[in-house]
Amino acid sequence: MNPHLPHATHIAVRDGHILGVGTADDIDGWQEAWGPLTLNTDFAERSLLPGFIEGHSHMMEGMFWDYHYVGYYDREGPDGTVWPGLKSIDEVVGKLKEIQAARKDKDTPLIAWGFDPIYFTDRRMNAADLDSVATNCSVIVLHASLHILNANNFVMEAADVKSSDNSEFIRRDESGQATGEFLGQLGYYMAMRTTGINLLAIASSPETLVNFANVARQTGVTTATDLVNPIPAGSEHAMREAVDAEDFPMRLVVAFQGNTMEPTEGVARMQELQASNSDKLRFSLVKMVADGSIQGFSARLKWPHYYNGAPNGLWYIEPERLGDYLKAFTEAGIQVHVHTNGDECTEVALDKIEEALRAHPWPDHRHTLQHCQMATRAHFKRMKALGVGVNLFSNHLYYWGDAHINITMGPERAARLDDAGGALAEGVPLAIHSDAPVTALAPLFTAWCAVNRLSSGGVTLGNGTQNISVKEALYAITMGAAYSLKMENEIGSLEAGKRADIAILAEDPIDVGAEGLKDISVIGTMVGGHVHLNQGREG
Amino acid sequence: MPQIPLTIISGFLGTGKTSLLTHLLTQAGPENGGRRITAMVNDFGALNIDAELIAAKHGNQISLANGCVCCSIGDDLMRSFMEVMQQTPLPDHIIIEASGVAEPSRIAGFAAVDRQLRLDSIVTLVDASAHNVHSKDPYLADNYAKQIEAAHLLLISKPDLADAATLENLEKELATQKPDVPMAQVTHGALPINLVLGLNGDHEIPQPQEIIDHGFVQWAGHLNDMPRAALIAKLEKLRPHVLRAKGVLQDGEGGYVLHLAGGLITTAPYAGEASGHFVIIGKPQMPDAAALERIFRQNEAA
Repeated sequence: MNPHLPHATHIAVRDGHILGVGTADDIDGWQEAWGPLTLNTDFAERSLLPGFIEGHSHMMEGMFWDYHYVGYYDREGPDGTVWPGLKSIDEVVGKLKEIQAARKDKDTPLIAWGFDPIYFTDRRMNAADLDSVATNCSVIVLHASLHILNANNFVMEAADVKSSDNSEFIRRDESGQATGEFLGQLGYYMAMRTTGINLLAIASSPETLVNFANVARQTGVTTATDLVNPIPAGSEHAMREAVDAEDFPMRLVVAFQGNTMEPTEGVARMQELQASNSDKLRFSLVKMVADGSIQGFSARLKWPHYYNGAPNGLWYIEPERLGDYLKAFTEAGIQVHVHTNGDECTEVALDKIEEALRAHPWPDHRHTLQHCQMATRAHFKRMKALGVGVNLFSNHLYYWGDAHINITMGPERAARLDDAGGALAEGVPLAIHSDAPVTALAPLFTAWCAVNRLSSGGVTLGNGTQNISVKEALYAITMGAAYSLKMENEIGSLEAGKRADIAILAEDPIDVGAEGLKDISVIGTMVGGHVHLNQGREG
Repeated sequence: MPQIPLTIISGFLGTGKTSLLTHLLTQAGPENGGRRITAMVNDFGALNIDAELIAAKHGNQISLANGCVCCSIGDDLMRSFMEVMQQTPLPDHIIIEASGVAEPSRIAGFAAVDRQLRLDSIVTLVDASAHNVHSKDPYLADNYAKQIEAAHLLLISKPDLADAATLENLEKELATQKPDVPMAQVTHGALPINLVLGLNGDHEIPQPQEIIDHGFVQWAGHLNDMPRAALIAKLEKLRPHVLRAKGVLQDGEGGYVLHLAGGLITTAPYAGEASGHFVIIGKPQMPDAAALERIFRQNEAA
């Protein structure tokens, strides 16, 4: 990704940094000043790329591996075990029965995650399914979207879910009985109250951090983000202890959840956190969440709203208060990433960023819109003019592309979903992401999504103008993401003076091309000069 | 185990939610039956509680001398809610000051899945001086309509800042949208606590003068063997002039507590010996005492 030297045969590393890149002769020249260099040919047949940067993920991914994965697709856990995808409700229930049978302490809550009913159109999972797993303990299955969960009758009895409570967030059958499916925060509240387990705990324990890093590392990631964390007072020390350890295989950028406190206090907290930044752990930006999700029908859309007629989504913060926060952070010179999914929300966020910049002009603020899935060309033009970057949720194209065509957006608007091609054409700095654990963390897969725009149902979204090339996608998962984090001067490319963060791949993605991008085997990574190999990987 | 009543105060940014909350907290002392309220607020900085009332202040929590606690919702309502439900002892009443864009029915859902909670009511404030702006807000109009739709009690705030015609039009509009839901005006948050949060205590239901001072009327009586279905039917007929009712009553099925909070009527089994007390608070348009006496005595012991 170094424009002066896109390809090379040799790379020299010293003190955690890249000493030089070039031919064997180029590298030889460094020995006079730096002493002898040892030639390592372990990866001579491999392809070395700048370490991948996941610009929008969550440490919760590390926590979820304490529970049981029951998703539709194969998924690799932190120890390298591949959890096979489950292709029907019966397979999910069968897997849960197996897990229950193998558990030592059968009365403790059984929690599973990653379930995605969008692939099971014949029927929905219900309480009876989970009662067949266990009736004397809580059985809770979190959906992949994280917006819905299923519970067994043990949970519903503990919560005293009454037939008279006609909350729209409790799914009921024709006779009015709760089916065991609970929507939104209500479900999580019930699950946490009845089990005593904090399913949405603030992720800062060393185990969670290590699990998260290992999941990311296996996919070639050398820097990942925890893109929203309230960072309670003192929790930064626990994070630092884990991340700064020499064998911790990744850099981590943690975004402070802006609305945790009033704007002026938030600014002070950020300044305190930034003063403690280290090589591997950064508190460099603020995240604000402005709306919900498209597949959860909680994204704010412009008229004519949802294709299936569902009411418009939810604001997660008053636009006026979003503006107050943006002004305060802009004045203090603190970068803000705003979560916007729907196009109405994107427009409001741009209005508020513009207001903040008129009040406190700041060249190169690099405020960034995260997800920003329904942005139009007009929005991208405005982003370019305002200096706003974008990090698109390209994995959506595959996982929910069909749902967006048929249910949420309709075919016309689904064509412009996560329009990476449009962003680049309008000159907007681009990154692409997984939002793990919402979808699996794997930058090469994310790149494949942005390049091919293929849904899991086999439909191509758009007419080709939205696709980006393999090179552009590789740039987005390296330099693009580095730029969005204001780290492009130290990571994102392989060139002298930068950090020695490398993804070691079995094949050269340029040779492999668009179709096979996602299937390239990741041999390992180097982070700050330390090599971390994946177990049992062959090219 | 008695269920903790949950009140949700909803309304746009700047409609007077915090003023109302402040007023409720300062009235929570023994003069009104005494209840330890835990209030969860969005904008901690906007709270304006008399310094004399504050017993302690640390981090995101203020403790009042009268036993009430006020805490900041901060980033996550669910997280703060979990914390409140883990307190010992549990509060007597929980109030959530919802954010200006919250859908109160979502928050109310928490009570549906927690055996320790009872939704008492959703109180929505409508700013008389800004209704015409809020209801046409290009981004928030649908949200605004949902807050009104979810209300069990509609409070018209800042009536002093609107002219008579505007106020009349607003009341008509709201009455058309929510015919069963009572409305009351509120200035600077000043409303009787018993009206907003319900009547406290199971045996001796107080009859505070404040209700009358605010222009509301009240009727109290002793009802023997009143079938709950019949009582609910009577109360539904009195809508929307009844703001509050409470009874600790007995019928063929056993003891029960009835709560009416504007448009929401709930009953729950009552384990102790039901006192038969019944109180109803309403607007002056509510039938007079003699008429109420007739209505409620009829098919008593039916």
